[in-house]
Amino acid sequence: MDPYWVIFLKALVMSVLLLGGFAYLTWLQRRLLARFQHRIGPNRTGWEGLLQPIADAIKMIFKQDVTPTHADKVVFILAPGISVVFALVAFGAIPAGPANSLFGMDPWIVDLDIGLLYVLATTSIGVYGIFLGGWAANSKYSLLGSLRSSAQIISYELGLGLSVLSVIMIAGTLNLREIVEINVWSVSPLLWPGLLVALFAFWISATAEVSNVPFDLPEAEQELVAGYITEYSSLKFALFFMAEYVGMITASAFISTLFLGGWKGPGFVDALVPGMSEWPFVWLFLKIFVLLTIFIWLQASLMRFRYDQLMRFGWVWLFEIALGAALLTGAVIAFVL
Amino acid sequence: MLAFAAIATVMLIGAIGVVTLRQPVHAALSLVGTLLALAIAYVQLNAGFLAAIQVIVYAGAIMVLFLFVIMLLALDGEAPAPSLTWLRPAAWGAGALALVAVLAVLARDPIGPASPAALLEVFAGSGAEGVADQLFGPMVLSFHLVGVLLLTGIVAAVGLVQRRAGQAAEARARAGRAGADAPDAPPLPGREPVEV
Repeated sequence: MDPYWVIFLKALVMSVLLLGGFAYLTWLQRRLLARFQHRIGPNRTGWEGLLQPIADAIKMIFKQDVTPTHADKVVFILAPGISVVFALVAFGAIPAGPANSLFGMDPWIVDLDIGLLYVLATTSIGVYGIFLGGWAANSKYSLLGSLRSSAQIISYELGLGLSVLSVIMIAGTLNLREIVEINVWSVSPLLWPGLLVALFAFWISATAEVSNVPFDLPEAEQELVAGYITEYSSLKFALFFMAEYVGMITASAFISTLFLGGWKGPGFVDALVPGMSEWPFVWLFLKIFVLLTIFIWLQASLMRFRYDQLMRFGWVWLFEIALGAALLTGAVIAFVL
Repeated sequence: MLAFAAIATVMLIGAIGVVTLRQPVHAALSLVGTLLALAIAYVQLNAGFLAAIQVIVYAGAIMVLFLFVIMLLALDGEAPAPSLTWLRPAAWGAGALALVAVLAVLARDPIGPASPAALLEVFAGSGAEGVADQLFGPMVLSFHLVGVLLLTGIVAAVGLVQRRAGQAAEARARAGRAGADAPDAPPLPGREPVEV
C-alpha cells in the first residue's frame, strides 16, 4: 500500500480531474445535443467553445446567492455539500490500471476488499443531498422533486443490487481490482446470457440512479420548474450540477469496471503494440467517454417516463428481469460448471 | 483510542439530537449521523463489510424511507404534545432500568479489550466471508425464518392498504352511480394511481 500522503495526493488529483471532467462534460453535452438537434451549440468562447465551461464557472461564482426566507438554513447549505462530496468519494475505489503502473504507485486511491459495496453505499448516501435540498428550500416544486427522486432512487436501487449479483457470483469477490482481473466474460460462454441481461438491467438502473433521461423526473422542467434545484442559485446550484455530472462519470466508470473489463483493453491491440491492453488510464477513460456519449445520446432520443410508468417499470419489469438474470447465473454456476 | 473517542462523541451527540430536536427531519438527520459514525467505528475494527451494509441498509434505504414518510406527511415540529401523560415517566423508568441492567452485567462480567489478533482473524477480508459462513452455515435456519418474518410484515401491510383502497374505490363507484350526470368510469381494480 502507498504511504498516506500519496493516497491523499492521489485523492486530491482525482477530485480536481473529476471536477474538470464535469466542466468539459457540460461542453460535450451541449455540443452533442446541439448536433442531434441540427444546431451548432456553444462555439464562440475559445477554439470551438472550449473556454465556455470556464466562462460559465466564473459567471456562476459571481451570481447572487439567494436563500429563501423560510428555508431551513442549515440543511439548505448542507445539502449541496452532501451531494458533491459523496459523488466525488464514490470514485475512490475504482482502479484505473495494473498495480504500480502510476510512476511506481498504484493507479487507484484505495484497494478495498468491499470496493463494490463501497461504491453502492456512497452513491446511496448521495441521495440525501437531493432529498434534503428539496425539502429545505420550503417550496412545493422542490419538495415534489425531492419526493420523486427519493422514491425513484430507492426503487431502482433494487435493480442495481440484483444485477450486480451475477458479477459477484461469477467473480467470487467484492474487490473491484480482482473483478477486473478475473474478467467475468472469460469464465464460460454459458454465463453470457445472464451477464448480458444483468449488464442491461444494471445500465438502466444506473441511468435511473443518476436521474438521466428518460428518468429525469426529479427535475422535470415542464411540471416542476427545476424540481429540487428550483430555489438554488449561484455556487450551490453549480454544486448540485457538479454532483449530477460526477455521478454520471462514476456510473460510467462503475459499469466499465463491473461489466466491460475496466481498465483492460481488448486483447487484439497487443498484436499492434505489445502490452498495449495493459496501459493504465487509457482504456478506462475511453470506456467512460463512450458510455457518457451514450448517456447524452439518450438525452436527445428518449422521452421522459410518466411517474406511474416509472414505478411500474422499476418494480414490475426491471426488478424481475434482474432477479431472473441472477437466478440464471446462479443456476449455471451451481448445476453446469 | 483517540479516533474512537471522536467517533463515540459524534454518535452520542447524534443520539441526543434524535430525542431532543423538535423538527422531525432534523431528528432523522441526526440519526443518520449516528449511523454513519457507527459505520466508521466498524471500519476501525476492520469490519468493512459490516460498515458497508450499515450504510447501504440503514442510512441508504431505511432512513431515506423514514424521511420520505416525514416529508410526505409534511410533519412540522409544532404538533400538539401527546396526551399520554404516563409516557414520559414510563420512558424514564425504562431507561433507568436498562442502564442498571447494563451496569450490573458489566460489573458481574467485565469485558476486557478484544485482542487485535482475534479481531483480525474474525474480520479477515473485511468480514464478508466470515459473515457469509455464519449466515449460510450454522445460522441458515434462523436466517430464513427472519426472511419469512419480514415477508409476513409486508403481506400484512399490503393487505391493510388493499382493503382500504378497495373501500375507497367502492365509495367512489357509489358516488358515481348516485350522481345525475354520467358517472366517472370506475377505477381499474387493484390499481391505485400514484399521486406524488
